[in-house]
Amino acid sequence: MAEDGSLPPRASIPSGDNSVWADVSPLLQAACQDLQEGELIHGDNFNLFAAMSALEIMDPKMDSGIACTYYSLDEAIENGVAPIPISADKTTDVRCMIDIMDHLLACEATWHKGHSLAQTVYSCLYLLRPERTSSHALLHSYCKVIRATCKAILSVVSQARTHEEEDLFTMAYGLPLSGDGDEKCLSMLNAVEETISRQLRACKVSSSKRRVPEDIEPLQNNPDLEEGYCKALLCRLRFRKHFYHLLMSMKRPQGRGLELARKHIASCISEIDYIRKCSEFLRANAHGISEQNLDNTTASGCQPIGFDASLNCRLSAPTPPRSIKIHSWEKVNLNVVCSYSLDPSLEAALLFVVKFQKSRPDLVARAHLQLLLVQDGKLYGRDPMFSMITGAAGLPGVTENYDFQKNEFMVQLGQLVINLLKILCTNAAWQRRKLGKMLQDWHVTYVQLEMTFKGEFEEASKTSNNKQKICFKIYQHILAWVEEQTYWIAFRFLNLGFELELYSVHDYCMVYWYIYVVLIKLTEKKHLRMAMSSDSAKKKTKKKRDSFKDGEIDYQIPAAVMFLQSQIYLAEGLSMMFAALRNECRIVPLQSPFNTEHEIFIQQFELLQKACVPDHISYVSFKESTMHANFSTLAICDYFKEAQRIAKEVKSSFANDPDTMAELCRVEQVAERNSIALNVCQAGALDPKLKISFTFCHHPFYATAIVKRS
Amino acid sequence: MDENVELDAWEIEYVSYGGEQHLPLVMNLVDQELSEPYSIFTYRYFVYLWPQLSFLVLPQLFHFQMVYGEHRNTFRGYIVMLVVIKPYRGRGIELVTRSIKVIMESGCEEVTLEAEVTNKGALALYGRLGFIRAKRLFHYYLNGVDAFRLKLLFPRSELHPSLPMMSDKYESHMQSDHGDAPFKE
Repeated sequence: MAEDGSLPPRASIPSGDNSVWADVSPLLQAACQDLQEGELIHGDNFNLFAAMSALEIMDPKMDSGIACTYYSLDEAIENGVAPIPISADKTTDVRCMIDIMDHLLACEATWHKGHSLAQTVYSCLYLLRPERTSSHALLHSYCKVIRATCKAILSVVSQARTHEEEDLFTMAYGLPLSGDGDEKCLSMLNAVEETISRQLRACKVSSSKRRVPEDIEPLQNNPDLEEGYCKALLCRLRFRKHFYHLLMSMKRPQGRGLELARKHIASCISEIDYIRKCSEFLRANAHGISEQNLDNTTASGCQPIGFDASLNCRLSAPTPPRSIKIHSWEKVNLNVVCSYSLDPSLEAALLFVVKFQKSRPDLVARAHLQLLLVQDGKLYGRDPMFSMITGAAGLPGVTENYDFQKNEFMVQLGQLVINLLKILCTNAAWQRRKLGKMLQDWHVTYVQLEMTFKGEFEEASKTSNNKQKICFKIYQHILAWVEEQTYWIAFRFLNLGFELELYSVHDYCMVYWYIYVVLIKLTEKKHLRMAMSSDSAKKKTKKKRDSFKDGEIDYQIPAAVMFLQSQIYLAEGLSMMFAALRNECRIVPLQSPFNTEHEIFIQQFELLQKACVPDHISYVSFKESTMHANFSTLAICDYFKEAQRIAKEVKSSFANDPDTMAELCRVEQVAERNSIALNVCQAGALDPKLKISFTFCHHPFYATAIVKRS
Repeated sequence: MDENVELDAWEIEYVSYGGEQHLPLVMNLVDQELSEPYSIFTYRYFVYLWPQLSFLVLPQLFHFQMVYGEHRNTFRGYIVMLVVIKPYRGRGIELVTRSIKVIMESGCEEVTLEAEVTNKGALALYGRLGFIRAKRLFHYYLNGVDAFRLKLLFPRSELHPSLPMMSDKYESHMQSDHGDAPFKE
């Protein structure tokens, strides 16, 4: 720096041989004054639409260069934003190091929820210049493992394509994702951990006033705090180590690392518990006032040193800066992914994903699940989709290589299943849109397979080839399964509308009615498929026991079908209840000046109607079903009572299935309460003070009616 | 001005966008009330191409803009921004109603917009007018909030030959109506 205190004038771009710089500000000013009002001078290929995503300098919402703390990383470092060592005092250095670790963890959790890496994890200035931390072993090793972790996660999310602005999530803008030697981050971490472990043992020995066996330099200078700080650091380092191992285990193909990942996840959770236990110690030793605040990102409650979120905003500005609140770390969603058992059953995989999504997992967990389920076009990278389909269709023994496996529509069906699994791993909003759109694909594929099937059937009737008969049966099973799966998708599409709050109270009548008609079809198709599977099994049994000549045992309706039956009654009951409320003027109907209920029906179910799901269902069907509903009639044929009865009956069949048992209990509760509400409404039909409202506190998408006197 | 005049009795003048003199007024209003940042080119895009579909309500009460255009073989109206200053909220329904009439009369089949899922006032307003929540858009806004895409489908004339094309003025007592619909298609 110049000693005389005067800075030299900023170097301008030098004039070239054939050019010279000139100030044209006055010329521009004069030219602008000559413009007509609203006139714009632009190039021929300029268009206003493309210019809409332009940034506007000096606008605080768009220009991240405004109101900044520092213009560059070098400037921030020179001004002591991220000092090394963090403090000359060793005790303070350790305390601040722990705060940095905690805040980084919170930034990581925030990033996993779909926010920008540059404004979360990499708002830590220590990460931005890898070699700079090399003199501080603890800080250096921790930064290395953070960078390696971010790199691993970015790789998974980039592969998975879960469609929620991954570009924002995965964009690294030249951030240093790997410094030299980050691949050896674990060995460095192990070395640091070993050092601190020895320091912990040393301070325990010295606290019992025996002679120290080795000459070990303590972690910091205050003997009374040594044990607390050693433990606080160790659990954080161990968490970091296990989390990295977890990610590496999950990367192994065909789910081979899943069991190891399970162990690491258990260790992570264990270390997080230790981290929580250390919080009281850290708060007690925090300098100044540490607020007991839910928004705290550090155990001590102190603001961490070395973070500046605005710095990266200026370095990476393709979009305006987003306001991001840093979350606290709550849970590890990957825990659920690791608990999966790789059941070679398509139905089990679908059920698992749906259950998994109920916990609202973050992007990282969902990306991992998707890659676990679908690799190289196979389930778990291991089981061919065709055999998964035949298994789901009730033909578990079919392993021979039949020609129709290569049929283009069978290949297409396999691709649809892969897409379905991937879509189910996305966020609920995107999931619903894609499920709605893929219904037409499923319907078209069904029609094409059916035509192929009929063609094969005509050939089969001419030549009574045994192989041909087997193909006939396989096609039959697959067709039944495809239809069932189509209605399953439709059912999920409609239910997600509740989760996403897409329906208003005025829509409930038509939505429950549509759920009711879809459920009827779903139940019908499932029953057909299960009957066919049962029939096939029976014939196999007969072949083995030719001497067995008793009549066929009475066919028992499967419990899974009865479960759906109870939901049919529940949906029908709700639809009719809403219709009765409207018909008897207990709910003020929607009165739009611009359109009618018909247009709303068209819009709500457009994608299902286009896919003929179900066929021959329209607004007219809906009106015919509901226009005469009233409470007197409903009380006589109480759908809710029927739903409740069936749910009770079928429970014993699901004793080994806690999830279905829980669902049955919810259905039973809603049915019971609605039946009571129905009777109250019927009895109090003349009482204008009765008010009815609806809540979803018992079930995510079947509403519970509440009747009160106002 | 007579201080005894009730707010409701103020004479309100609906004017179409009249040119460059209105632009700073509009930009200031939108910038104050909406969370999304918009560059000047965003405003110019809409008022240059569809000036007849942009409305202000004076004196300095509301600003409203809308566009329509071809969208996958349908004519779709799109409400870009609707802003009402706090003291005058509750009157927005009139402005929206007038605008939708214009869209309807121009031959559009439907109208769409987006609103934050947390914007109860806007959702109630549009819900009352017959908009459904067609989609939920994950992390749509820069502040991380989701959006609902709201849609209103106009009746086709062959379906409802007897339906009058317009209803009488729609009564409303909204507490707030704060639309927020950046163009993000």
